[in-house]
Amino acid sequence: MELTDADLVARVLVNDDQHAFGELVRRHQSPVRGLLRQLTRTDVALADDLAQQTFLRAYKNIRSFRGEARFSTWLYRIAYNCFREDARRRKELVGIDEEQLQTQHDPQVASPGLRHDLMRALSLLPLNERSAVLLCCQNGLSHDEAARVLDIPLGTVKTNVLRGREKLKRMLADWGPN
Amino acid sequence: MKEVNQEDWLDQQLREAAPYIDDEGFTARVLQQLPPPRRGTDFLRAAILLGMTFIASVLAYVVSGGGRFVSVTIERLAALPALWVFVLALASGLVVAAVGATAAISKGWVLET
Repeated sequence: MELTDADLVARVLVNDDQHAFGELVRRHQSPVRGLLRQLTRTDVALADDLAQQTFLRAYKNIRSFRGEARFSTWLYRIAYNCFREDARRRKELVGIDEEQLQTQHDPQVASPGLRHDLMRALSLLPLNERSAVLLCCQNGLSHDEAARVLDIPLGTVKTNVLRGREKLKRMLADWGPN
Repeated sequence: MKEVNQEDWLDQQLREAAPYIDDEGFTARVLQQLPPPRRGTDFLRAAILLGMTFIASVLAYVVSGGGRFVSVTIERLAALPALWVFVLALASGLVVAAVGATAAISKGWVLET
């Protein structure tokens, strides 16, 4: 029988079991790295650095995980905080550097087409709308969970998702269903 | 209706745009950067406790005149009526069982939470 996230967390807490923590990293690395890649506008190297920081911080603060939320939600929150701190250092929280957007290149979205346009449309959204859309629509978090991750009121999350979706729909109008 | 379809379509595209990212050594890199496990400090703590216990036992033995109090206590216990000895043994057993049960319950609670 496969151990649940809660079982693995308990092993880390009680026995400082690093193999158990490794299993948690293996399970959650893809969604965490994926979220950070989207937040950093597909800067793969920076996203992976932030993902490493996220898991190290999670290990050091695992005693503060009380099991009130899913482990993945708790990780997303740490990941988002790592991203925000880094962005603040880089002063990238405001505005979008169009020139930089043109030069960034992600092999996963290299081929032209719907996915490329979707990635580009996502990267053009303001950070608050982009993060809300990514958490709720892409990673399947409820509005309530997203509010905890982003540390903003529930109503603000709903508004940001709604606005972000509207903008994406407008930008992708040519691709949408008729 | 069309609006709902469009939202479903958008959510589906967003989910499909997030493919599984292969580990490619990521987990190993994270594990390499973890601080060393607590085993070292646990061992040190156990060694200190054992050492202190040993020193305290030696001190008690020396101070009590070569452990004479042990034989005196045994003699007193032997002189007690059988019922008293039984009650003392039962009480000691209950105390040990209660301490064991408390430790097990608290450990179970930590695992649960």
